[in-house]
Amino acid sequence: MMNMFKRVEETPSALALTVKNWLAHRGRRFGHLTARANGKGQFVIEALALDRNTGGGLIITAPLTEGELKYPSLTPETPAAHWAERAVGDLFGIQATGHPRWKSLILHSDAWPDDPAPLSSLERLHKEPYPFLEVSGEGVHEIPVGPIHAGIIEPGHFRFSCVGEIISNLDIRLGYQHRGVEKRLAELPWQQMRYLAESAGSDTAAGNALAHATAMETILGIEPPPRAQALRTVALELERLANHVGDLGALSGDIGYSACAALFPPMRGAVLALAQLLTGTRRQRYYIKPGGVARDLDDTRRTALVQGLVDISRRLEELIPLVLENPAVIERMEGTGRLSPTLARDFGIVGPAARASGSHYDAREVFAHGVYPGRAPKVASRTTGDVLARAQIRVDEIHAGLEFLTELLDDLPKGAIFIDCDQEKLPLDAVGVGIVEAWRGELIHWVTTDRTGAISRYSIKDPSFNNWTGLAIAARGNLVADFPLCNKSFNLSYSGNDL
Amino acid sequence: MNNPLLSIIKTGIITQKDLFPDLTDDAIGLPSLTSTPCRSADCMKCVSACPTRAITVDDDLVTLDRGSCLGCNQCVAACPSGTIVADRSTKTAVRTRKELVISNQVKPVTTSAPTKLPFQRSLHVREVATGDNACDLEVIASTNAIFDIARFGIHFVASPRFADALLLTGPVGRAMQEPLRRCYDAMAEPRLVIAAGVSAISGGLHGGGYAEANGVDSILPVSAYIPGDPPHPWSIIHGLMLAMGRLE
Ligand code: SF4
Ligand code: SF4
Repeated sequence: MMNMFKRVEETPSALALTVKNWLAHRGRRFGHLTARANGKGQFVIEALALDRNTGGGLIITAPLTEGELKYPSLTPETPAAHWAERAVGDLFGIQATGHPRWKSLILHSDAWPDDPAPLSSLERLHKEPYPFLEVSGEGVHEIPVGPIHAGIIEPGHFRFSCVGEIISNLDIRLGYQHRGVEKRLAELPWQQMRYLAESAGSDTAAGNALAHATAMETILGIEPPPRAQALRTVALELERLANHVGDLGALSGDIGYSACAALFPPMRGAVLALAQLLTGTRRQRYYIKPGGVARDLDDTRRTALVQGLVDISRRLEELIPLVLENPAVIERMEGTGRLSPTLARDFGIVGPAARASGSHYDAREVFAHGVYPGRAPKVASRTTGDVLARAQIRVDEIHAGLEFLTELLDDLPKGAIFIDCDQEKLPLDAVGVGIVEAWRGELIHWVTTDRTGAISRYSIKDPSFNNWTGLAIAARGNLVADFPLCNKSFNLSYSGNDL
Repeated sequence: MNNPLLSIIKTGIITQKDLFPDLTDDAIGLPSLTSTPCRSADCMKCVSACPTRAITVDDDLVTLDRGSCLGCNQCVAACPSGTIVADRSTKTAVRTRKELVISNQVKPVTTSAPTKLPFQRSLHVREVATGDNACDLEVIASTNAIFDIARFGIHFVASPRFADALLLTGPVGRAMQEPLRRCYDAMAEPRLVIAAGVSAISGGLHGGGYAEANGVDSILPVSAYIPGDPPHPWSIIHGLMLAMGRLE
């Protein structure tokens, strides 16, 4: 795969302005920001800026002068950088000065009382207890929820500030599931990274594996065979289909619509059965790997897959209207948990949540992964930004996905399913960025090698890393009782965020 | 037509009657060992193929720890002798950690059910997730109409106060250790702990790092282990029923 990202150097003090000016052009967006040691005893702050016009972008590297462990924050000009800068603060001990909400994001001071910053061995910041944003005023009260929630769901803490039954602010504190994924990835032999890379968010194994493979193939300069690219795309789209179908059931559950809460999960199971047919496991593990895919799809299984999709399609035609053409459902979802297009854009919201709020950004139309961007299904977009719009986007994508999957399977390219690259050594000072439209949205694996060819930084940006802020905004002004519905309509990953 | 009742009737009964069916031939499960002699020292293919160091080969004695195995089947593909083979059984849970360690020569150990079985008829379960959402999704799947875990008297509850058992997923990094302990402390005795998935059992790929995400073993006493990454819903049901004492 070709590297579509140009590296430029900048001083830390000019970084914020350079990024802002570069992003001012149409079709460009903030991708991610992180830090790394540059092998010369220095730390660099690095911003990844994406260009939707070219399918590539810019990596802007700002080396900190020795002993300087801070830089002027990008967040005041580029709000989408706000969590990334806080993560760098935790993991590297490097401060973004002038950040409007400067506090920890990932590491909890009580769980890591005396340890150094894990990715730099520098002194850790934020040793104080976590300062929740306090809302003051008459009648304001707080409701703390979590980390362990009532359902079968990942842990995180929500601090609601409410006036009566209405949420006036929501402070989301995550990091409970931090397990040191990025550091471990940089320590492993590259051939074995894929097992961990794909479980960075284990509910998105195909998406993570594809982002990993794409990044590594860019570094290695290899092009997987067309058949492999098509099969990977099938895996990615099955993952999207399964999760969107599951979400329709879960949304039904959260409004007390038991019939649909019971009818959709078996449909999700039917999609997972097809995923198992393709990859060997329901969760599509160990399938997509650098160089291609792990096993071929023979004609019998291909036919079974196509037939399975026909059955699912027919069944969903009956089930989907039960949700989206039901006045009682629409009543609950319409206008609930609204996220305005402006705020969605400013905070860089991605995926179905962004497309429900007016965005037309879908990484499948922009960045090389699988058969994309050469072929891509039509992008769904809505403007109302409420729970209903997020449900509708999923339905649009279910329809488009079913059609696209059948198309893909109908004319699978012939030939090899992988190129053996396991003996390859990683080149020196290389960078690979794998950007995938996973079912929750834009997912980035950003891998950098040092002057010896070892991985100097493996950075992952899960779509949820952008979207948690979207949920916090959408919850404002809603009933506390509607929060589970708002939350489910985003259905974000905690572990993909915490890493 | 917009009639959910009609859709439900049309769906009919989809619950699997055949309990704990093997995975289909298309699926890959956990690896298992046969008595076929291993080619040992001049081979070691399985050892170098394994991403989690789950296998050791000493002369011709092969030992495989299913508690740190992902089920990637790289070892199965690599083994020229047929010593390591694929196992498609979904009855994979065991009562003790040492039962997860299998060998090609020593007979597998099995532990019998404890004499006191307070939850043989029903089990109320509090799930605690700590970083493996695929596993959580398979737990949720076990409650759907296909697997229908409720028919075995197993129910998931919202609070540790109502719970007889704590079902743990994920590797329990440092920031979840305290919440996990507090959840356990809030449960009335007698109580069980069941670890689901390789990360919960041993930390899996996460173990040994600065986050001390090494699984639940050093934190709470465990009554059943369910290997797999993630385990199949049937395996999850198997583990819970084993902990209840409803299965041998
Ligand atoms: S299946 Fe288990 S033992 Fe075999 S290679 Fe994979 S992780 Fe190792
Ligand atoms: S791959 Fe098979 S034959 Fe070779 S060492 Fe392992 S068990 Fe023995």
